[in-house]
Amino acid sequence: MITEEFGSSRRKTILTIVLWLGFAVLVGRLYQLQYIYSAEYGKKSEENSIRKVVEEPIRGYVYDRKGELIVDNRPSYSVMLTPIDFDKKNLSFLSWILKMPEDAIREKIKRARQYNPFAPARIKRDIDFPTLSVLEEYKDKLPGVKIQTESKRYYTTPAHASHLLGYVKEISDYQLEKLGDYYQQGDVVGSIGIEAKYEKYLRGEKGFEFISQNAKGQIIGNFNNGKDDIPPKDGLDLHLAIDADVQALAESLMTNRRGAVVAIDPNNGGVIAMVSSPDYNLTDFSGVTSPETWKALNDDQNKPLFNRATLTRYPPGSTFKMILAIAALENHVIDENFRIVCHGSFKFGNRIFKDEHVHGSVNVVEAIQKSCNVFFYQLMLKVGLDPWADVGKEFGFGQLADIDILEENPGLLPTTDYFNRVYGKGKWTQGYLVSLGIGQGELGVTPLQMADYTAMLANKGHHYQPHIVDYIYNKWTHKSDTVAYKEDSIHVSEHTWDLVREGMRRAVMSPGGTGWEARIPGIEVAGKTGTAQNPHGKSHAWFIGFAPYDHPKIAICVLVENVGYGGSFAAPIAGLCMEKYLYGEIIRNQLPALRTTTALLHRESNGTPHVAAVQGSAHQ
Amino acid sequence: MNSFFKEYFDHTVFWTALALIAVGLISIYSATFDTQAGRSFEHQLLWAAIGFVLMILTLATPLRIIQRSSYVAYFLSLSLLIVVLAIGRKVYGSTSWFGIGGFGIQPSEFVKVTTLLALASYLSRSDVSIGKATDVLKAFSIVLLPVALIMLQPDLGTSITFIAMALPVLYWAGVSQFLVVALLTPPLIAIAALVGTTTFIVVLAIVGITLYFLREDTFSASVIFGVNVVIGIFVQVMYEKLPLYQQKRISTFLNPNNDPLGAGYNVIQAKVAIGSGGLLGKGYLHGTQTQLNFIPKQWTDFIFCVPGEEFGFVGAIVILVLFAILLLHGLKLAHIVKNKFGSVVALGITALFAFHMFVNIGMSLGLMPVIGIPLPFLSYGGSSLCSYMIMVGILMNVYANRKEY
Repeated sequence: MITEEFGSSRRKTILTIVLWLGFAVLVGRLYQLQYIYSAEYGKKSEENSIRKVVEEPIRGYVYDRKGELIVDNRPSYSVMLTPIDFDKKNLSFLSWILKMPEDAIREKIKRARQYNPFAPARIKRDIDFPTLSVLEEYKDKLPGVKIQTESKRYYTTPAHASHLLGYVKEISDYQLEKLGDYYQQGDVVGSIGIEAKYEKYLRGEKGFEFISQNAKGQIIGNFNNGKDDIPPKDGLDLHLAIDADVQALAESLMTNRRGAVVAIDPNNGGVIAMVSSPDYNLTDFSGVTSPETWKALNDDQNKPLFNRATLTRYPPGSTFKMILAIAALENHVIDENFRIVCHGSFKFGNRIFKDEHVHGSVNVVEAIQKSCNVFFYQLMLKVGLDPWADVGKEFGFGQLADIDILEENPGLLPTTDYFNRVYGKGKWTQGYLVSLGIGQGELGVTPLQMADYTAMLANKGHHYQPHIVDYIYNKWTHKSDTVAYKEDSIHVSEHTWDLVREGMRRAVMSPGGTGWEARIPGIEVAGKTGTAQNPHGKSHAWFIGFAPYDHPKIAICVLVENVGYGGSFAAPIAGLCMEKYLYGEIIRNQLPALRTTTALLHRESNGTPHVAAVQGSAHQ
Repeated sequence: MNSFFKEYFDHTVFWTALALIAVGLISIYSATFDTQAGRSFEHQLLWAAIGFVLMILTLATPLRIIQRSSYVAYFLSLSLLIVVLAIGRKVYGSTSWFGIGGFGIQPSEFVKVTTLLALASYLSRSDVSIGKATDVLKAFSIVLLPVALIMLQPDLGTSITFIAMALPVLYWAGVSQFLVVALLTPPLIAIAALVGTTTFIVVLAIVGITLYFLREDTFSASVIFGVNVVIGIFVQVMYEKLPLYQQKRISTFLNPNNDPLGAGYNVIQAKVAIGSGGLLGKGYLHGTQTQLNFIPKQWTDFIFCVPGEEFGFVGAIVILVLFAILLLHGLKLAHIVKNKFGSVVALGITALFAFHMFVNIGMSLGLMPVIGIPLPFLSYGGSSLCSYMIMVGILMNVYANRKEY
């Protein structure tokens, strides 16, 4: 390549010309702005000062699987204050109207001033009607104060669905820093549940209006005839897999109980219902949450804010026996003819492991049907820890179910490595395994994992990622955006499925089955009960099941804490929920002994809920 | 003594720089004295004093030592950039700050200087030939390393200044005009293609004509032209395939008026401020746009609006004249300096000043996209002011040694 001499005169000249050209452009532009259009801009700056006003989009709506609106928006009024226009003499007056301490208002003004003294900042959200009317009356005496109409969440159905829907909350300083430029002080942001997970879809996009004001702060009109305005874009709507009726029924059945219900559609992984009881009323969180409400919820020893459906870590008891049965059958440790004689207990070393009954000679199907512990104690020793844990892992235990809400616990599925790590190599014995065989001991599962596992049993190993949101309706493109969920299969032989599922069917449908209270009129149900002992009081009652047996449409897990037998406390709840889902209503004539207070069992023809309190028998 | 000063002391650079700093301080005071950033003036005054000391120190250091330690300084400053990525503070969306006590330090401002020194050191080596493609490539990689690190912060505006400094320096060092065109056109074409098909075709035509007049061999010219066509079409096809929100992000960068949430609002207000200043301005501390704080963070990137509004066309022209004196003097210095290192450094500093000034004032006047780079000497900010003062010290040092080989 031909090069010129270093720093040649020719190049200096060219660079000088470039510089002069640049200056000429700047001077020309200055001349244009400051001479030719000077009068125009002068008018704009003297008479019209432009203010940028945020227009809030409407947060997306939420519908259930039947298309019923479950989360709506209602108007809410916020008090906005523009620091530069506010007269500090009015502070005590404002404090009296808003029933808010002067210091609190002063602090808010200080922060707003730091952000932008010309931008209106929210001083109080969701004021009540009396405050609103007083403010309207004294509007002229309070320059810089105005009322802004916003929207707040309104819940249309009797279903609370608190933990799964979640709520929106005023953005914290930490979130403000983390979430970036879109948000500003005083904005609300989804805090838990799908409100948090789908925040960026639900929130929409803010709009901006450019308002011209004169020097006195009076509004003249829209700057540039509104041509620069950006209208807000409303948030997108979520369509859930949740069935609000089943959700409401499950919640009412869990009233006054601690525990959880999770129901999944095995054909696609959609979550039909997800209850954590006790729950709370989301309406308390729309608008302003009073500190008293917060304190009461936080101090409640039943921990209503805790999502038991996805965060508890309890041993699953006998509901876990299918894992062991599958491990034994698939590893050819036993076959369908293998039998064990149950004498009501099992002695291992110098410990005695108990059973509820003397079951006599049982094979694997009967052992599941009757929940024979002795059979599974011995089976566990034959199968061994790791082959058992491998099957557990295939069914999703010990790992996150990856549902589309943020709060989730992976649980605990022990392996040889785990025991070696915790107790040291050689410092634990086979005796540790015996309890695992019946789902006790160092095993932790969430009701969500259990429902997921039940859906896989229903589906013969085909698995869909459990999810709450079915699809998102995009109002901007008028299209439905489906959300992609994972799908996979585990390999278990057809023969093994037949045996295990037959055991589950008999557990509900056959005499001598432990789960008979989950029966539904006219439909074959399969299931398994579990009664998990725990050191803090009565046993936890578990039930998992699916129906109809041949072509399952619902898989369910019910956990009731500290009440007793799974067959007595959890199975009836599961039966009613499945009945409601499959028939759309409760068709049985005689209600089961629910042993708990229930409501909402029936719906009147016009669709409004009919609250009928049905008293159970056992606890009266 | 007097003749010594005349011979070795660069009065032009010294006094214009001081005058510009004074204008900056006056403007910062006006923009901030009654706001929450009320102490900005005192801070900037303190920074100016620190910068002055740094300038004197730079002037007093023998140029040879500066040249010899340039690689060490270069790698030291790069390691600072890496540290800042790891532990730095986030300000306006990018991690480019160190917090030390109450002050923030922005290492990328100093990396501009060290990168230029390293580049000049490399180009002035006797075994480096600007005619060799590999040497040009090596020179370019000295610049691309910090650019990559700064892009990680991410700070697009600052990254661009490095390229804007490197191209004139390479041109000055004798890279063929053809190569400059070859390097400069692909990004231009890419941007033009993003703006629209018409712009793309117009710019492509200009590139074609330029290539024709450079009279390089037909084959290379066709290759460069072909590459540009392919890049343009590729960019347009890719743009169509991007998700909507990413398209929006790109179009906002090219035309901030689309984004009144951020940059567009500032530009509207800045134009009103400067335009309403008229011929003579509204008077000091009487600019309504300035005093009513209509331009957020005016004392940093939009500082030019303050003299523009309060001192009008006359005030703006005075600032431009000061810059013109500084830049033309810098260019002249680069030409008369006898040693290669000093010449490259002088040209690079001039290029940095020029680019910052044109882009910054350009964006206040609504001519340039808002990419957030400071106006030299005027914008509030300790790191940038100190780095400019160091550059002034270097320029004066080069001037004092201009007759040595």
